[in-house]
Amino acid sequence: MSGGYRQQPGAGTSEKRVDGKRVAGKQTFSPPGSGGSRPNMAERDLDYIPETEGGREKQPAGAHIHDSARTGTIVGKRTPLVDGNAKVTGQAWYGDDVRLPGEIIGRIVRSPHHYAKVKSVDTSAAEALPGVLAVATGADAPTSFGVLPVTKDEHAMAVEKVRHVGDLVACVAAVDEATAREAAALINVEYEVLDSIHDMRKGLEDVDEPIHWRGQYHVGNTNVQKRVFQEFGDRSMVENPTAMHNGKWKFKGVNHGFTEPHAVVAHWDSNGRLQLYTPQQVPHYAHRALATVLDVPMHQVNVIRTFVGGGFGGKSDPFPHEMCAAILARKSGKPVRITFDREEVFWVNRGRHPSLIEVQMYADEDARISGFDIDALIDGGGFASFGHVTSYYNGVLATAPYELGSFYYTGARVWTNKPASGAMRGHGAVNTRCAIEVGLDDMAEQLQVDPIDLRLANLLPPNSSTITGFRITSNGMRQALHEVRRQSNWHEKFRKMPLGKGIGIGCGFFISGSGLPIHWDPHNFPHATVHIQVDMDGGVTVHTGAAEIGQGSTTVIAQVVAEVLALPIEMIHVRSHESDTSPVDLGSYSSRVTFMNANAAIRAALEIKDELLVAACEILGDQSEKLILNDRRIYCKHDPAIGISYLEALHKAQEDKGALIATGAYRSPPMGGVHKGAAAGLAPAYSFSAYVAEVEVDIETGLISCTDVWAAHDCGKALNPLAVEGQIIGSCHMGLGQVLSEQMVYGRTGHLQNANLLDYKIPSVHEMPNVTPILIESCDPEGPFGAKEAGEGPLLPILPAVVNAVYDAIGIRINDLPLTPDKVWAAIAKKMKLDGIDDPETLPTPRLDLSPLQDKLLARAEVHETRDKRRQKLEDIDAYANGVLFGLDSNLLLEYQAEGWVASTKPTPEQLAELGLAGTAWLKKEQRKIGGDN
Amino acid sequence: MLMPPFELHNPASVEEACAIAAKLLSAGEEFDWIAGGTDLIPNYKWHINTKPHVISLVGLDASTISMTEIGCMARLQDIAESGDAHPLISMAAGKVASSLIRRSATLGGNLCLDTRCFWFNQTEEWRSSIDWCHKCDCGTGADCRVIPNQNELCVATYQGDLAPALMVLDATIHLIGPEGGREMLLHDFFKLDGMTRNVLRPGEFVLKITFPDDAGQYTGSYQKLRVRESWDFPEAGVAAAWKDGDRSTLRLATTALESIPRRHDEQVAESAGDIKALADAVYKEVKPVNNTALPPRYRRNMLKVLIKRACKE
Repeated sequence: MSGGYRQQPGAGTSEKRVDGKRVAGKQTFSPPGSGGSRPNMAERDLDYIPETEGGREKQPAGAHIHDSARTGTIVGKRTPLVDGNAKVTGQAWYGDDVRLPGEIIGRIVRSPHHYAKVKSVDTSAAEALPGVLAVATGADAPTSFGVLPVTKDEHAMAVEKVRHVGDLVACVAAVDEATAREAAALINVEYEVLDSIHDMRKGLEDVDEPIHWRGQYHVGNTNVQKRVFQEFGDRSMVENPTAMHNGKWKFKGVNHGFTEPHAVVAHWDSNGRLQLYTPQQVPHYAHRALATVLDVPMHQVNVIRTFVGGGFGGKSDPFPHEMCAAILARKSGKPVRITFDREEVFWVNRGRHPSLIEVQMYADEDARISGFDIDALIDGGGFASFGHVTSYYNGVLATAPYELGSFYYTGARVWTNKPASGAMRGHGAVNTRCAIEVGLDDMAEQLQVDPIDLRLANLLPPNSSTITGFRITSNGMRQALHEVRRQSNWHEKFRKMPLGKGIGIGCGFFISGSGLPIHWDPHNFPHATVHIQVDMDGGVTVHTGAAEIGQGSTTVIAQVVAEVLALPIEMIHVRSHESDTSPVDLGSYSSRVTFMNANAAIRAALEIKDELLVAACEILGDQSEKLILNDRRIYCKHDPAIGISYLEALHKAQEDKGALIATGAYRSPPMGGVHKGAAAGLAPAYSFSAYVAEVEVDIETGLISCTDVWAAHDCGKALNPLAVEGQIIGSCHMGLGQVLSEQMVYGRTGHLQNANLLDYKIPSVHEMPNVTPILIESCDPEGPFGAKEAGEGPLLPILPAVVNAVYDAIGIRINDLPLTPDKVWAAIAKKMKLDGIDDPETLPTPRLDLSPLQDKLLARAEVHETRDKRRQKLEDIDAYANGVLFGLDSNLLLEYQAEGWVASTKPTPEQLAELGLAGTAWLKKEQRKIGGDN
Repeated sequence: MLMPPFELHNPASVEEACAIAAKLLSAGEEFDWIAGGTDLIPNYKWHINTKPHVISLVGLDASTISMTEIGCMARLQDIAESGDAHPLISMAAGKVASSLIRRSATLGGNLCLDTRCFWFNQTEEWRSSIDWCHKCDCGTGADCRVIPNQNELCVATYQGDLAPALMVLDATIHLIGPEGGREMLLHDFFKLDGMTRNVLRPGEFVLKITFPDDAGQYTGSYQKLRVRESWDFPEAGVAAAWKDGDRSTLRLATTALESIPRRHDEQVAESAGDIKALADAVYKEVKPVNNTALPPRYRRNMLKVLIKRACKE
């Protein structure tokens, strides 16, 4: 194609004199925005149009429902984030950049005690201080809130008790920060100090004064907030295992460490509506909680999401300080700004739970995984936050990508007098994943097989279901393993490198959006909604509630709309900051945004496209099936000369009705089991990943340096490969922090000793390995253009990959993260003592001597590879449920085929006797069962 | 993170600085010196031992960097990149914090670095929640939190990187104050207490460091233990220097293990060139406490490794 078709309607047709000059008053001007500096149409980019649509883009996983919406415009191309300019030029407005006229400064008064009753709060001295405009205490906001409707256990400020050092007690607003600080110091709080709990194991015991009281559902008199029991499959399979691994793990709590501390500005406008500016990941839940706590209807609150300087889960709860700002603003009649110090960020925390996890894993004579027993005790700190869900995730997200003979999970989350734990990138899945992937490495060693081949011979296929009933659609796990093995040169390195150098493998599995929304709604309320408006100038305004937190959600929405309408991305304007103008989106959590929002955006864009095509048909007199969209033009597929510009079609479509407006929505399909907790971990799609890490261990000092990571992640379809690679590299950095140096250290007295970024050790650029991101595209049938998540899943495999690599390097497994040099050194010293070695240079390193089982695994993996390819392309559409590897038939109920195959969520009396540490939470009865607290 | 208000004085010369100090002293006003500010400002932001007056040394002409002299205002990054300073000093300076901080931080400030402790380097609210500590008791007479039930000595750790490297080159420190100047060997400058830290008298500050003429004949190494290759203070540090080809001239100094950096002449003499024996002897000599990121047992054990590496020819 010559590319000579002009975009402007009538351009060049102005009436001209014989001498070539135009006649005054007879010129036609093209509408603005129609062509700009590129008046001619670009050629169709066939490399980015799927083969099924006549392009050259390979489709190894087969066709996709969105193929016909592809125009080769931008999907799949490396696209700089659309808000990048604002950020690098300093124009992005973060929470603390908001300045309203007449604003005053709020300051929070925090508890100096771990656990205490608030006897009285005397604010008189603070109120008397000149410059103080408002003071508030817990009495000003007695209504409780929480991110999950089932566990609303937070208040704006302490109502009855403070539950950790740093818990909110009161707040003040004054003309400036110095006065606010001075006033805060004048608030006199009388406390009655209670016995505090810092060890999560103590949380399982009965106490006089549990940190919260759940009424008739309270478990005994303990501090157990949530307990979970799940048993699936046939546990008799774990008897007489050929290989067995037991791992008792300790994971320290970690914080998100985002760049921007929390900041909020609250303002009651002239109409008495609350305008709240906050860097929220989940503005909608903050919106709900604000309305509840402030006792105003939701439509009288406008939540304005500022630019978010990193979230990672740490800005997804509705926060007490947001309520405080709103209360102070209401009392003072002025806009109130509260900005946190870094220490306050640690007080509000919501980071990854400190955890004690025990895994017991079994493999049978064919190296099939006959059972995972997982016991996870997690330390929730002072509040529930997302903990109800975390309690499930620690178990259920370990049920794939492997086919299991049985799955047995006991979990408990306890309250302790620490800042609350919550959701953090890889929510609930990270710690258990590390434990089981290291366990697999150990079992492979016992079986004398290559750990990658052990995994390849035990994978669930695409379009199957896990042992707990999660529906797996696309699955690129096998390809990811193949790629990292090849690119890392695994065969030359694994168990072959000298002492101090090692290589290790780890896999991951994560949800791509949660199947059920947190606020369950009986009226099928969509999880994501997108509005598109196109007016005469041709610019496309997209309204979405998707919270851009740096992950690129705004860019991805703009991309998919640009793709469908075949417009340059500059013509797409995403508006997502205000709840007044944005349709409800559930927020940036559970890795749901790209999957759900882009799906909604595609639907809305397709509607606009249809209207444009109808208009084009009216002008061209052709049938819409024969028309295609490409670079601001609509024309006949077989004769590009027959066509009109996008603007001509748009103006025709706007006749008598004005701007085109369309809505698209997304809701997950119904799926999953019916057992208690079946919804936890349920997702419309799952991401898979495999990483190989290479490390160097200084055997004298125990310092670990991770030098290289080959990171393969199955994101379904990389809508923006640049952004996916960024997510993978960023995940490696964050995961490396947890495995090497990051930890929230609680000292002898229970105080958090390192609430600052010098002592909370996030890896620096020097600690970053060379990361090779490898994008695997399994083309998810329900994902937008085949895409799945890439924001959280990529974090999971880095932890076990490093731990396994350390074993390969020094022959020692350390089950206590982070692997700080002192721990590694102590482990080396211990081993040297046990083995009677004087010189660490003579430590033995593990070597691999393959057993006959290896060939068996290779053969099985080969058969499975063929099976997977057929299933992925839907050439084989038989049901495949976890259990087929063990000889069961997916078409029949598993319980009928195997005696002992169960699906249970409550322990039997016999099981009660042998539960793990977290399982002991089941030894206590709920209050209603013992006649208490009706 | 609002600093309490203070009055900033900007003398343009050493004499003027001394005059301002003298004036404040006679008025009974407390003050701090500020050079690069990378230690003082974070402490002020946390409201740690703040003073109503701060005298800036930035206007002083004291940035000399040569083989025989380094001025108090020489920036660490300049020392690290300079071809004129002793390579050992450049090496140690290059390991301090991050390049951004090194561009501001100075030699004088690094030597006078306040001692550190995780019970002390915290915000005001945090410290109030543990009822303060001995080093900053806010008038409460609070006990030491590292080693309770003793109210005599502060055991906060000195975590400067440059001191041991300077010590093994036999550096002399020059002080100046309203009552005139004085000089001493650097190892006599430090005083074993986390609060007093050194022999500086009120109104005195570090003017420069000088080296003996034969410093250039010495070669050596500074080994720093830290979790991250950037930002982190040393968890243990060892500097060694010796005349090329003559191990009998070996000198060794350590830092970040106690409230002061120390030179280990006695242990060097006793071990008579046996590095392992030297390492064992120094191991016995120093007694780190639990107030930094890594446990004291580990830091102490790592001394042996660091000494071995520092003394490697």
